[in-house]
Amino acid sequence: MPTETTVSDATPSGRRHGAGRYLVVWVGLLALTALTYLARRAEVPEPWHLVVALAIATTKASLVALFFMHLWEHAGAARLTVLTAVAFAALLIGLVLLDSATRFPYANPPRTGAWRGRPGALRVPAPPAREPGP
Amino acid sequence: MPPDGTTARLAHHFPDALTQEHAARLGMWIFLATEILLFTALFTAYSLYRYLFPETFHEASRFVDTHIGLANTAVLITSSLTAALGLHSARRGLGKRAAGLLLATLALGATFMVLKGFEYHHHFVTGQLPGRYYSFAGLVAPGAAMFFTVYFLMTGLHGLHVLVGMGVLGWMAVRAWRGEFSEAYHTPVELGALYWHLVDLIWIFLFPLLYLI
Repeated sequence: MPTETTVSDATPSGRRHGAGRYLVVWVGLLALTALTYLARRAEVPEPWHLVVALAIATTKASLVALFFMHLWEHAGAARLTVLTAVAFAALLIGLVLLDSATRFPYANPPRTGAWRGRPGALRVPAPPAREPGP
Repeated sequence: MPPDGTTARLAHHFPDALTQEHAARLGMWIFLATEILLFTALFTAYSLYRYLFPETFHEASRFVDTHIGLANTAVLITSSLTAALGLHSARRGLGKRAAGLLLATLALGATFMVLKGFEYHHHFVTGQLPGRYYSFAGLVAPGAAMFFTVYFLMTGLHGLHVLVGMGVLGWMAVRAWRGEFSEAYHTPVELGALYWHLVDLIWIFLFPLLYLI
């Protein structure tokens, strides 16, 4: 028989708490959203803008997972499951990028910069005419 | 399910209701883990194309409306709040309030889809379309079409999840209105809310990667 607990105290779904923590988390999420937008406006230099954006996104995701999805209260298998999924996601993305970053020369498409064409001009313009060499 | 909200019907292979509830929650989390990996595959495609065409992707994100993206982020974050409050009310047996909050979640989800529809329409008329249908002359560079391929795949799949979540929460709202949930039995609302929070989680990563950087 499982340990009997009174409904007014601990419950099978976790200890009772007020709804206030949801509002606090909500305000925090909106603040972090504003922060990530401001970080974009601040034009953080290259590669750090990606790091900053992902760090803020991970913080927001952790708040949602821990408090809205109740992982803060439910220790054990649920946390392990989501951490495993995140670990495999990191493995997939990390190794794919590592593969591309360590290819031999000319194994990847040229990393040319973006440029704007004339309206209606979708074709890459012909290379400039070269003097016929010897 | 019993409308007096005492407890769920105990399946024969569980020794007690607590174990059954734990199993239901773990089963839902395992499903959510598979959903995370589903979107990870698309994030991998995004990462690879971003690595190969960094300037093009940075430039292309300027053509996705940041203000609509910000609004959609706020909409989904608020919908997660109302979903969590809806579960909170359902646990206390406040069925009508729970139904109202779940319907608010559904309405915010619909708002998200409407805003997304405006965005998609703009992309359609300017020719910012995936793959071979790309015809936008304002950005002509290697990888430009791949940005919009990845954009439509990721936001499209996410939008499908929003619609599914809206359906699930709508059904939960009907059951909550009928008074079927209580402290002892609220598992369907909890699992449906978990799915909705995952939809919000995915958008939390989609927004900066597609709109901001």
